Amino acid sequence: MNHEQLAQRFVDQELSAEERIQFVVALGRDEALRERVLELERLMLGASRLARPAVPEGFVANVLRSSFAPGASEDDEQVRGPAVGASRNWVIERLWAPRALHWNLAGAAAAACLILLALSGGVAQALRWRAASAAASSNEPAAPPVVLVRLVMVQPGAKVVQAAGDFNGWNPSETPLQPTADGAWTVTLPLEPGRYEYQFVIDGEQWIGDPFAAEQSDDGFGSRNAVLDVRPPAEGLL
Amino acid sequence: MTPGAGPEDASLVRASLAGDREAFAVLVSRHAQSVLSLTTRMLGTADAEDVAQETFVSAYKALSRFQFSAKFSTWLYRIAVNKCHDALRARRGGMVSLDADDGEEIAWKALEDDAPRRHLERIELSWELDKGIQALPPLYRESFVLKHVEGLGYDEMSEILGINRDTLKMRVYKARTLLCRSLAHLEGARR
Repeated sequence: MNHEQLAQRFVDQELSAEERIQFVVALGRDEALRERVLELERLMLGASRLARPAVPEGFVANVLRSSFAPGASEDDEQVRGPAVGASRNWVIERLWAPRALHWNLAGAAAAACLILLALSGGVAQALRWRAASAAASSNEPAAPPVVLVRLVMVQPGAKVVQAAGDFNGWNPSETPLQPTADGAWTVTLPLEPGRYEYQFVIDGEQWIGDPFAAEQSDDGFGSRNAVLDVRPPAEGLL
Repeated sequence: MTPGAGPEDASLVRASLAGDREAFAVLVSRHAQSVLSLTTRMLGTADAEDVAQETFVSAYKALSRFQFSAKFSTWLYRIAVNKCHDALRARRGGMVSLDADDGEEIAWKALEDDAPRRHLERIELSWELDKGIQALPPLYRESFVLKHVEGLGYDEMSEILGINRDTLKMRVYKARTLLCRSLAHLEGARR
């Protein structure tokens, strides 16, 4: 475990006794590490001391008025399960509902613009194609453009390969890759244009970047994230 | 959220279910500031109060489904987080974006118990920190706020957000790294 990871776990008080010894020894030798720990501690102290907003006058009365209003009925929608599930369900519905199909049909010409971009040279590649043209011809409000990106990882010996990155809040369980017959693992992600950093997670334990990625970024924990630059469909056309 | 003096939350929930309006008023008073703090940090001041009120109204309407084995505050935070997601989606045409917000500036009241110089430094740090928090991607923002502003542990956060501890830790680490960078950048710009 590198020093940055140890520092992060140290300030969370999550180090084992052995790790604490290792870390304290490192602290004695490394001034930059001491500065880093101080920086994190100051940040956490500052956050804990942030002023809490005052409750406005009439807040409780307004809540009671609305809660006890005649005709107020049970509200199922907001007391749903974990917040992330709601968000994920919404994304799935929005991307794969009939409306998304409508976009694809309306943009049939655009669908011919299937393009292949080798985003990262060797191990990971991305297959992009235009998934949706802007707003199509309907009267619905313009939806964000979506680009389908395929991540490919060659890892014949792996039992499970997942991807974690800015596209899933760094939650590998959200994005499992599917194995192919030749030892490659793939997943296709519908992404809005933007810059995404990611890593692959092998067998639930080993986090690895993509050494062949066109762009990489320091992840702040001593390793490198692959950087995926998803451009709007119009820019992606060759 | 601290229980505070008076009856336990669970007793107040039972009384509220029996139609005791005052009992529910005590619950709202007790937890209003925590819910408002979360909604303010997640949304900025523009929608925070409305979303906090909606949180309590939804909680009241669903009170019969509250599981007494859980903490009321955890259940309430979950409703508040869902409400915040809805508000963020509404702002962005329907999706909780991973992009940074535009950075709404929040004016925070001064703390009154410090010497003048430290007082000013603290206000400045608070302002910059708040600005940095507002600029975090929402998924990192909610994890950081629950962990370091609301002071929750990873287990309770996991229960609220339905996400495993390792993922939450990664989000908090990321948020801390991004905030340290942004504060260092501001510090550098000021020199």
